Amino acid sequence: MLSSRYLAIFFCCTLFWLLPFTGYADDLATEVIDAEITLQKDHYVLAADIAYQLSKKATIALQSGVPLYWSLQIKLLQQHPYLWDKTVLKTDIHYRLQYQALLNVYRLQNLSSGETYNFSTLYAALDLMSEIQDFPLIEKSKISPEEDYLCALKVKFDRGLLPVPLRSIAYIDKQWYLSSDWTLWPLKK
Amino acid sequence: MAFEKVKLPFSLFTLILFGLILLSLQLMSSATQESSELSALYSWLLLINGLGSVVLLSLVGVNIYTLIQHTKKREAGSRLTRRMVSLFVVLALAPAVIVFYFSMQFLHQGIDSWFNVEIDRALEDALELSQSSLDQRMRWHLKQTQQLTEKLQDSSENRVALDMENLRELSGATEMTLFSRQGRIIASSSINLGDILPSLPDKNIWLQLRQNGEYVAVAPAHEEKLMVRAIAKVDTQEPQYLQALYPVPVRVYDLADSVEFAFVRYKEMKFLRHSLKITFTLALSLVLLMSLLAAIWVAFISIRNIIAPVKQLVKGTQAVASGHYDEPLPVIAQDDLGFLVESFNEMMNRIAMARDETRIAGFEVENQRAYLETILANLTAGVISFDASYNIRTANQAAYRIFHIHVNHFIGRQLLDLINDSSELAEPLKSIQRLLEQAEDIWQQRIAFLGPNGRQELLCRGTPLYSQEGLRVGGVVVFDDVTDLIQAQKNAAWGEVARRLAHEIKNPLTPIQLSAERLQHKLADKLEPADAEILQRSTRTIVHQVEAMKEMVDDFSEYAKPSKKETVDIDLSQLVKEILALYTLKSGVKFKTDYEAGVLTVNGDPISLRQVLHNLIKNALEAIDSEGLIEISLHRVQKNNTNFIELALYDNGTGIKEDQIETIFEPYVTTKTKGTGLGLAIVKKIIEDHGGAIWVDTSRKVGAGFIIQLPACHSEPL
Repeated sequence: MLSSRYLAIFFCCTLFWLLPFTGYADDLATEVIDAEITLQKDHYVLAADIAYQLSKKATIALQSGVPLYWSLQIKLLQQHPYLWDKTVLKTDIHYRLQYQALLNVYRLQNLSSGETYNFSTLYAALDLMSEIQDFPLIEKSKISPEEDYLCALKVKFDRGLLPVPLRSIAYIDKQWYLSSDWTLWPLKK
Repeated sequence: MAFEKVKLPFSLFTLILFGLILLSLQLMSSATQESSELSALYSWLLLINGLGSVVLLSLVGVNIYTLIQHTKKREAGSRLTRRMVSLFVVLALAPAVIVFYFSMQFLHQGIDSWFNVEIDRALEDALELSQSSLDQRMRWHLKQTQQLTEKLQDSSENRVALDMENLRELSGATEMTLFSRQGRIIASSSINLGDILPSLPDKNIWLQLRQNGEYVAVAPAHEEKLMVRAIAKVDTQEPQYLQALYPVPVRVYDLADSVEFAFVRYKEMKFLRHSLKITFTLALSLVLLMSLLAAIWVAFISIRNIIAPVKQLVKGTQAVASGHYDEPLPVIAQDDLGFLVESFNEMMNRIAMARDETRIAGFEVENQRAYLETILANLTAGVISFDASYNIRTANQAAYRIFHIHVNHFIGRQLLDLINDSSELAEPLKSIQRLLEQAEDIWQQRIAFLGPNGRQELLCRGTPLYSQEGLRVGGVVVFDDVTDLIQAQKNAAWGEVARRLAHEIKNPLTPIQLSAERLQHKLADKLEPADAEILQRSTRTIVHQVEAMKEMVDDFSEYAKPSKKETVDIDLSQLVKEILALYTLKSGVKFKTDYEAGVLTVNGDPISLRQVLHNLIKNALEAIDSEGLIEISLHRVQKNNTNFIELALYDNGTGIKEDQIETIFEPYVTTKTKGTGLGLAIVKKIIEDHGGAIWVDTSRKVGAGFIIQLPACHSEPL
């Protein structure tokens, strides 16, 4: 009896300790303000408006030369009433943002397309990332008109690509919880 | 003795786990290096090592919990295990913690030593120098472009393309473009003929351009090169802008890049300094924690293996303590402990042999004791032994037969406690107790007491017992019931007296009587009447006295001769009835009889037994009044596994005086005024000749009572 009581106390303490972590995501997280997938000719294309946020620590890190990575995760799920949803499409857009001290510019690279942009301000760089226009996703022919589809979009701040010394801290510091939640909406056909 | 193969203290599983822990730690250590390929797995490795620590912590926790449980239950070897584990933990922990502390100190100081103000300043200055260099270059190129615009002011639209080509070549620009205010390309010239579309300014550049009228900046170009973009306003009617792209020399770019790389790297490291410390501390702590936990866990296993023979030894000693010598302990290892176990087994074997021998000796002693007890039990002499405090230790069956008290029930108590059960034994027991306590050597004494069967004479012999050291450890008293022997001696003496009386006295009596009668006959007629009268009277006196003497001598003869002449089976109840029939008729005395049902048969001489009854009834009749009562009862009794017929005869007469009770059965003892005093002596003799006993029932307070016990016939059922 005594040991089970101690076990319960231990679990309560652990839960209490973990409780602050659950709220971290909301404070500094990136937010998907608007997203929609529309049909343009034979392709479904994505348009999204994303509000990126950088914590104080992330900003300092960036200005200290630490490159930051984001990936825009896009999924198209075919819905099944009784089974798991089938992933029809899964694609990522990777961004790398780094401060160039010599030229005092922020260099933004779209790692998926290979494009590079230089911005004199951080906001200009984030502004470029925040607007997605006409990003082709899937051909119309691959979408069945009878089925229901769910679109999912998430901006993931890639802590795994931070420098090693920062990595372990990034997993426990709310300043580095910069990813957004999944945004889900049905596909309009 | 079981010899097993020498085992390693660790199992294969333990070794593999230990190897995995080391590998995982090594991988994590490698992963902390930024350049390592494992750096991508750093988080996973950290997690795996963290989980490994938890697993090890659980293993150690389980072991500690088990050890605590065992210690609480006081299991064999648990306290030694606890002590060894504690010692090991302290020995392992202390140096590890010290090394850890100093490692942390060196690590932190080492990291801090990377950064100092001078390097910081130098790198910032270097960067500023590079920036200044580029800035100067930019200003120069802007000025150069502005100068070029002046030359283009006068160019007509047809010549502008050609002039631009010349100006570009002259200025060393890689590309030159003329835009309208709206951004339309008017003319363009490039060093690369393949470039169809010139590099267009973005909206930010246009914004600056519209505000300032000029623009210059260094921008990264393709193939990791830098170029200076300079845009100046061409003063024409329709405002135009001339954009020139100048390459930054490769050497300048390399130097600037190198400076920037060093600066960024330094700044990054400076930013990461705190994180770096935390990461290294974490990794080092994890290494220390896992190493310590693994070492403690392995210590538990090793100590358990080391303790195992000790544990077995403890169990073995417990088994020996509880008397189990049959299971030898297995010899696990051929080391000192193995030798100890072997020696223990040898010792156990010897103890077992000694125990067996002791057991056999014990059996023999027990047999001897039982043999002696049997002998003692079957002795006719009573034997009572005492301890040093004179408490009864043993008493044989004969003691009960003699004292009529279960002396066995008084073992551990004082001899005088027997008085509570039998007050008549008070004097003899006190005498024995006194002798026991005082006598230094063998003593002997005759004691007498009035038992339930009448007066008993005992011959007591006692001796104190001494230990080998000469200490008094108790005593033994042996006593024989010599009542019968003394009685037989008395009877023999009286028999001899009677025989001599008969022979020496009876023989002269007849001549005396005859002589007296002859004197009477011869002289009666010759004497005077008066003298004749005297003679006749004297002669008559002589004859009467001689007759009396004859009668007395006959009685003695009767007493001396054997009473058991011809033996037959006699039904006592029938005999009593026959005799009582004679007395009932001639006296007014009442007779009350009580016969037990069935035939009460004894083997004896009917004449003698008749005489016994006659004598006893005569005595009773003489003691009571004419209206008196005589009670006669016949019962079967069992004494000492022998069947007896008990005849009890009571009267309500004058009774027997207490001082006469002990001697009533001796010759010439009588309470009557007349008689020879041989009646009861003859009765006792006849009864004893028949193997029976007679005594006065002292429990009866009214009149006198006699109890006769005669052995029942073998055919007599009981």
